[in-house]
Amino acid sequence: MITAIQESKGDKVFLICTYIYLSVALLIVLYPLIYILSASISSPQAVNSGQMWLFPKDVTWAGYELVFNNPKIWNGYLNTIIYTLVGTLLNLAVTLPAAYALSRSDFFGRGWFMAFILLTMFFSGGLVPTYLVVKNLGLIDTMGALILPAAASVWNIVVARTFFQSAIPKELQEAAHIDGCTNLKLFWRIVLPLSAPIIAVMALFYGVGHWNSYFPSLIYLNSEDKYPLQMVLRQILVLQEMSAETTGAAISGDIAQAMNSKAETASLIKYGVIVVSTLPIIAVYPFLQRYFVQGVMVGSVKG
Amino acid sequence: MNIRSKAWKLLMVGGLGASLLAGCGGSDEAANSAEKVTVSKEGFPIVETPIKLTMMAPDVGIQNWEDMVVLQEMAKKSNVSFEYKNAPKESFDTKKNLVFASEDYPDVFYAAGLTPSEQLKYGEQGVLIPLEGLIDEYAPNFKALLDEYPDVRKSITAPDGHIYSLPVVEFSQHWYRNPMWYNGEFLEALGIDKLPETTEELYDYLKRVKEEDPNGNGKADEIPISSVTTSAANVRDIRTWLLGAFGIYEEEIYVDDSDVVHYTPVEEGYKQYLEYMNRLWTDGLLDPESFSQTGEQKKAKGQNNQLGLFSDWHAYMTKGGEPSDKDPMFLPVRSEYVDKAAIAKNRGITTGAFAITKTNPYPEASMRWVDYLYSYEGALLFNKGPEGTLWEYENEADRTKKALPVPGGGDSEEYRSTLTPNYGIPAPTVSMDDITKGLKNDFDLWVEKETKTKLLDNGARAPFPALFLTVEEQSEINSLNSDLSTYVKQMEAKFITGAEPISGWDAYVETLNKMGANRVKEINQAAYDRWKAS
Repeated sequence: MITAIQESKGDKVFLICTYIYLSVALLIVLYPLIYILSASISSPQAVNSGQMWLFPKDVTWAGYELVFNNPKIWNGYLNTIIYTLVGTLLNLAVTLPAAYALSRSDFFGRGWFMAFILLTMFFSGGLVPTYLVVKNLGLIDTMGALILPAAASVWNIVVARTFFQSAIPKELQEAAHIDGCTNLKLFWRIVLPLSAPIIAVMALFYGVGHWNSYFPSLIYLNSEDKYPLQMVLRQILVLQEMSAETTGAAISGDIAQAMNSKAETASLIKYGVIVVSTLPIIAVYPFLQRYFVQGVMVGSVKG
Repeated sequence: MNIRSKAWKLLMVGGLGASLLAGCGGSDEAANSAEKVTVSKEGFPIVETPIKLTMMAPDVGIQNWEDMVVLQEMAKKSNVSFEYKNAPKESFDTKKNLVFASEDYPDVFYAAGLTPSEQLKYGEQGVLIPLEGLIDEYAPNFKALLDEYPDVRKSITAPDGHIYSLPVVEFSQHWYRNPMWYNGEFLEALGIDKLPETTEELYDYLKRVKEEDPNGNGKADEIPISSVTTSAANVRDIRTWLLGAFGIYEEEIYVDDSDVVHYTPVEEGYKQYLEYMNRLWTDGLLDPESFSQTGEQKKAKGQNNQLGLFSDWHAYMTKGGEPSDKDPMFLPVRSEYVDKAAIAKNRGITTGAFAITKTNPYPEASMRWVDYLYSYEGALLFNKGPEGTLWEYENEADRTKKALPVPGGGDSEEYRSTLTPNYGIPAPTVSMDDITKGLKNDFDLWVEKETKTKLLDNGARAPFPALFLTVEEQSEINSLNSDLSTYVKQMEAKFITGAEPISGWDAYVETLNKMGANRVKEINQAAYDRWKAS
């Protein structure tokens, strides 16, 4: 390649260093991903004994077969998709209007409301009181228990509010008002269309949160057919951990046998399950990434 | 992104509506208005008109409890059915605490593993109702069991004289911990036909495993003895057996033959155990990864045929392959300090398996229901499933059965786990030899024989009975133990790996006593004396 200007020696060294540095960084990030992928199609024995460290060894598809034939995993998958879609839509429906209202300087009592909302970020009600509220609302063991109590996140409201404050010029709103636009119409027609980055970011924040959450389902759900994927996953993985823990203790033969067969299945399918459950998020991320960078930055830079 | 406002509106409204709908499903919490029902004192059905109660139980995540044949059959038979509030087994304790804290009680707890302190605390608060009156009136099978084994009654009666929970009674399971197993191929390769009987002979075996390449692959990759460490304890899977060589029954609290309670970490025998382990460590006989590896990693070594001696439920679970009688069970060894090895045996009683709460409108019917599980027929149903699925009678009179082919092929244990809840959880029931009569295979019988000749015939006994501490005693023990056990665990690892020379022993004991080791011993002694006298 011929370049117009000859690179100086220093530039070359700098360039080489940069490439080396980036390659190392890439390796560090890529290795766990490749490891998980390889492990998911290697025999558990090779993985556990450390013989499999990069490329698959003793390739077996038994793990994936078990995953794809396990109705619980698919049911969990379906539930997770429902929780993520419905939950995220509700989150957006709550967060964006709240954030916009709080961003308007002509909103009466804005500081007061903001202080109240922020308070809940620093002092939460605690596990048992929250459980009692959910219970008295009749939400225990319903899908709503996973969606409604998590409808708004204060942190995300603050981020969105900052975006609205800095990205939507006040003059634009005044102009719209002069043209006879109502507040609601202003929000729908002007503010939201200009806020694509923040909507994408919020959707991603909330969506990933729903996708990965298991604790609320552990607390609020009693029936297995409502469990999200992470809960099913946890059941598989933790039982395997437990088998090492409890087979030391005085337990019945029945339990030991159960644990052992559970542990065998688990070591076979755990990496497969990890791949299957994280793939959708990894697949969506590149498409949202450009908004992601833009959206988060917007909150911090004021122009 | 081009957002059409109409589409967005629709989406938002739709989302909101869906979430509201989802929220409405659960508002029909049936407030049980307790009508009077007559509970028949024997036979089925238990009640004439069907009743429904709520049951909280841990779930191993294989089958929905509503779909379990055994529970369906039991409901049909008894007219008592349950709404199941399951929580996954691994997080059951979190959920249990939440239920108690929020006063959202189920009618009964099943296989809940209520600890003695929970039983006492919630019993005294009146959340769990006393059961002894109900047992006399409505539990003929369980009462017969108590009369036959007075120790069971002693172990389940709280210090205030009430019984708050029913136990798992399992006298046919003798192991206190998983046994250790020798690698049969190694024994053969080394020409050993008599298992080690003393710690020195054991040392020689381990040494030979390391040096003489018994797996014959030309590499010195043999690991004479391997173990795992969990958050609860160091090398727990092997130490119970090695401690026995120095006259110690259990790793924390045990009672000797003259009714004196001992706190193991300050015992002389424990010091000798540490010295022995340190020797194994320094000579490279104890797997250097014993303090860091997971159970899986240990199993992988077993499958590579590297291990000479290891602990597991059965040897084949570590070595892989089919059950085989080629790998003999570890014969407890003794050191020069004692005449015979101390061997711990399972006490056979696990308390806290079943309890009835104060919100239960039909405690009598609940008691009759659970009592059936302590009869031969009930225990059989809940253990093996109904007749005609996995087994059938060959001779009903003497209870001999034979196994049937598994429907749809596959593993019979796996199939069994879809029939009955009693799979992998401490369920209230009694195990008796008659249940498995005729169903045992050669391997089961071989394991039984090994257990008998190596453990039971050599004087195995329970190290400490199942007993209650009072609420004050329990809280004192808990606070002492939280410091003690961490320190003991750290120091044990240091002594074994040589990071702390054994000459530091006296200072270590002094520190333990300062931290309240004496007090732990005293409290347990007092509780033991109470148990003995009751």
